[in-house]
Amino acid sequence: MIQAVPPASMEAMETSVSNFAPLEGGLQPEPALLEVRDLTTKFYTVDGVVNALNGISYSVRKGECLAIVGESGSGKTVGVLSILRLIQSPPGKIVGGSISFKGTDLLKLDDNALRDIRGGAISVIFQDPMTSLNPVMRVGAQITENIMAHEALTRRQARDKAIEMLSRVGIPTPAKRVDDYPHQFSGGMRQRVMIAMALSCSPQLIIADEPTTALDVTIQAQIVELVKKLQSELGTAVIWISHDLGVVARLADRVAVMYAGHIVESAPVDELYARPAHPYTIGLLNSLPRLDAKVKTKLQAIGGLPPNLLGELRGCPFAPRCAFATDICRAQNPALLEVTPSHGVACWHDRLTGGRA
Amino acid sequence: MSEEVLVQVKDLKMHFPIRAGLFNRTVGAVKAVDGISFDIMKGETLGLVGESGCGKTTAGRAILHLYRPTGGEVSFKGTDLAKESPEGLRRTRRHMQMIFQDPYASLNPQMRVGEIIGRPLRVHGLVKSAPEEKDRVTELMQQVGLNVSYRDRFPHEFSGGQRQRIGIARALATSPDFIVCDEAISALDVSIQAQIINLLEQLRDELGLTYLFIAHDLSMVRYISTRVGVMYLGKMMELASSDALYEEPRHPYTRALLSAIPIPDPPLERQRQRMLLEGDLPSPANPPKGCRFSTRCPMATDLCRAVEPEFREVATRHWAACHFA
Repeated sequence: MIQAVPPASMEAMETSVSNFAPLEGGLQPEPALLEVRDLTTKFYTVDGVVNALNGISYSVRKGECLAIVGESGSGKTVGVLSILRLIQSPPGKIVGGSISFKGTDLLKLDDNALRDIRGGAISVIFQDPMTSLNPVMRVGAQITENIMAHEALTRRQARDKAIEMLSRVGIPTPAKRVDDYPHQFSGGMRQRVMIAMALSCSPQLIIADEPTTALDVTIQAQIVELVKKLQSELGTAVIWISHDLGVVARLADRVAVMYAGHIVESAPVDELYARPAHPYTIGLLNSLPRLDAKVKTKLQAIGGLPPNLLGELRGCPFAPRCAFATDICRAQNPALLEVTPSHGVACWHDRLTGGRA
Repeated sequence: MSEEVLVQVKDLKMHFPIRAGLFNRTVGAVKAVDGISFDIMKGETLGLVGESGCGKTTAGRAILHLYRPTGGEVSFKGTDLAKESPEGLRRTRRHMQMIFQDPYASLNPQMRVGEIIGRPLRVHGLVKSAPEEKDRVTELMQQVGLNVSYRDRFPHEFSGGQRQRIGIARALATSPDFIVCDEAISALDVSIQAQIINLLEQLRDELGLTYLFIAHDLSMVRYISTRVGVMYLGKMMELASSDALYEEPRHPYTRALLSAIPIPDPPLERQRQRMLLEGDLPSPANPPKGCRFSTRCPMATDLCRAVEPEFREVATRHWAACHFA
């Protein structure tokens, strides 16, 4: 977990006071809805052990949207699928850590108890709605199945609820569409069906794994606005996984940046974009062209490639690509520490305070 | 950008037949590209954007005559490609190359990198001996930033970004004037995309290349292109210089597309007004009557639903197909 570090200066101390006051609104801090600590997942393959997730810690508060950002292979999907133990085993195995959801450790639950939570209190929206919906089952039956697994309703009542959910996510003529098969929907409409299903049992937490990556931009905008609206209406917490820093800017309250199975930076959304501290986050933001850029500035690409996660890594995983790397970076992996209140960075030389090394 | 036209596209059409029934009769056509016209100037990068199914990839392929177009004309340096003999077309293709979207599918997995890059040299008779081919391949690999010692490796040994470099080296082998980049960076991670974009720009400036840059990422297209064309259901909706298109879009579809792109700046994003389009893309086999965009356009009137607007010059070197542009 994030440890408190003495603020580097008086200025930082002052921001800490002013930052905290409006955040809590004068109330007692609420316990987190989901608290993940030191979660470690490995894949045991014929080629060796893949260290997909190397002890990540984060928390999600009630009603907030946490975005987890990272490139392919950074562990962002493994990180959230581990919450519901949806990692295929073998080869995958959660080898350490704890996942506390409203005080219960999900890693210690038996399969039946976990099944009650999956699709109930915590539900998932997957990236590709075509492969995550059953192609030979009517969408209504799929939603109804989930509702009846979690709530004591008759088939008729569950069906009415399914229709209500479809209408809620903006599917026209839901009473008719409920009897259609997934292939009769377009990509954007299928994703709406997935969202309807995810919301059908009033979850407290929705995990959305790149739900708009496969969609066109105009459809992506529709889905993002829909999720924003539903989230504010229902007060559901959302973990939104994405590689698109634009979508995250629109949607998130807080952002965690992942690299090589570690969270390297975590901060409230405005803070992260305005004052990125980890060289990787800075690199990512600088490698994006901006649609509203009036003057063309050359893109600053991050050289090199993400590391291979096969086998143990020594030192900071970003060190080989980092312009600021020194000997300590290559020898020891820095822990994720708060450099200013609620802004955590795992870097020996973070660009906000100048570093701890 | 010079005033010399390198590629001229006139009313290009590419229809694919829909066959059905016992006798496999043609029952209709998917009008993937349905009459588009534009010029590509020597040295410019023309961006082509649109949603999936708008015909941008088909347009790129039809321009290279990888498909034989259903109608219209493409001329390259003044020669009409449709009138070329197969042999003549092959010779002309030396000067027109393509970089594909998927660096996993577009490289032969059984060929070594050196062979992949050297093959076009042999096909077009550009090298006379094996040592000469080897020298040229070395030069190409250095040009795109590939380690020359990897010449004997297979494509699967490379990452996505490196594979895309192999595809670029192959396209450059014949010293082309014109390259169609078809979603060349879409499959890559963000930090790698910038590497490839910078490489493409550097090569353009060094070798005097002309690009047709097809992509759905409007931010990237704005960044690399001198001019941008917006396609919708097989038609060109708007064409203008990058700055004009992004600063003063004239077509409602362009405006909707631009407003749908999120900008990585949270305070700005919270203020931005979204122009959300209703519904989905209609089928290109059965496009709406009148203006193709009229079914989703917030400004559509009866005129739009009846009469297809002409693609006309609404300002200097700024074309749009809208009655109200």
